[in-house]
Amino acid sequence: MKSTKTEFKIFTILQWEKEQEYLRRQQQNGWRFTRVNFFSMYHFERCQPEDVVYQLDFNQEGAAHREEYLQLFRDCGWEYLQDYVGYSYFRKPLSAMKGGEEAIFCDDASRLDMLERVFRGRVALLLVIFFLCILPQLFRIGQEKSGMEQFFSVFFLVLAAFYLAVFVCFAVQFWKYWRSVHRR
Amino acid sequence: MDAHIRKVYVPMTETGFYILLCLQEEAHGYGIVQRVEALTRGEIRLSPGTMYGSLSKMEKDGLIQFLREEEKRKIYRITSLGRQVLELEQKRIDRLYRNMMEVQGNEIHKDGV
Repeated sequence: MKSTKTEFKIFTILQWEKEQEYLRRQQQNGWRFTRVNFFSMYHFERCQPEDVVYQLDFNQEGAAHREEYLQLFRDCGWEYLQDYVGYSYFRKPLSAMKGGEEAIFCDDASRLDMLERVFRGRVALLLVIFFLCILPQLFRIGQEKSGMEQFFSVFFLVLAAFYLAVFVCFAVQFWKYWRSVHRR
Repeated sequence: MDAHIRKVYVPMTETGFYILLCLQEEAHGYGIVQRVEALTRGEIRLSPGTMYGSLSKMEKDGLIQFLREEEKRKIYRITSLGRQVLELEQKRIDRLYRNMMEVQGNEIHKDGV
């Protein structure tokens, strides 16, 4: 039987809850998460099935004060795994939690703060790129002279469509997360 | 105290309240987690993500100050602004408690008649 496996899986910037559930489910099925690297390849190794809670934090200030940040999580019993595109990965077995299931956030205010940090740290940048770099290019469509310019027009049109699809996706996920926090 | 501080911290979250309450003495984040767990007999277990975020925010807003580092743990203490906020919050909780007793006292009285 294979002792390791690799899965390709895409989660958008706002889907950290889905990603946490995915990693937890894997270990329930006997696959312990070892690392994720660029191109979204998730690596696992065989293990005894166990219920382990996975959590992702996005905290650039924590990244700037790495040691103290990780020490607080370690003190609270969370194992630090790695960083990936701005997120820090933690896990803690359910059996180590005394009073029921724990998470790295314990109130709604801090859950919404997390959303705000992700928005500022990631989504805001995409909005800036879209409005300053991509959108202006679209106004030049129809004025192309050479074939090269026409090629770029099509290129930017496709890029703009892609960004718009991503923003719609974000809006939906943003709304879902907001609602889930307020209904908790 | 400016309007921003008043708006953000009064009323404050349970986490925020316990942080200010505990930081009347020097402590690090995990020390506060343990203290609160003991005070509430295990009912409130503050999480590290919430704790780290609250401490950074309160330090930035000047409610607490960073003193020094010990074994990779940052030690903090409340500032005078933090004390003012804590006092406002204590008054608010006091009022809630008094009102609760008044209203419930009346209910019991009525039931007794």
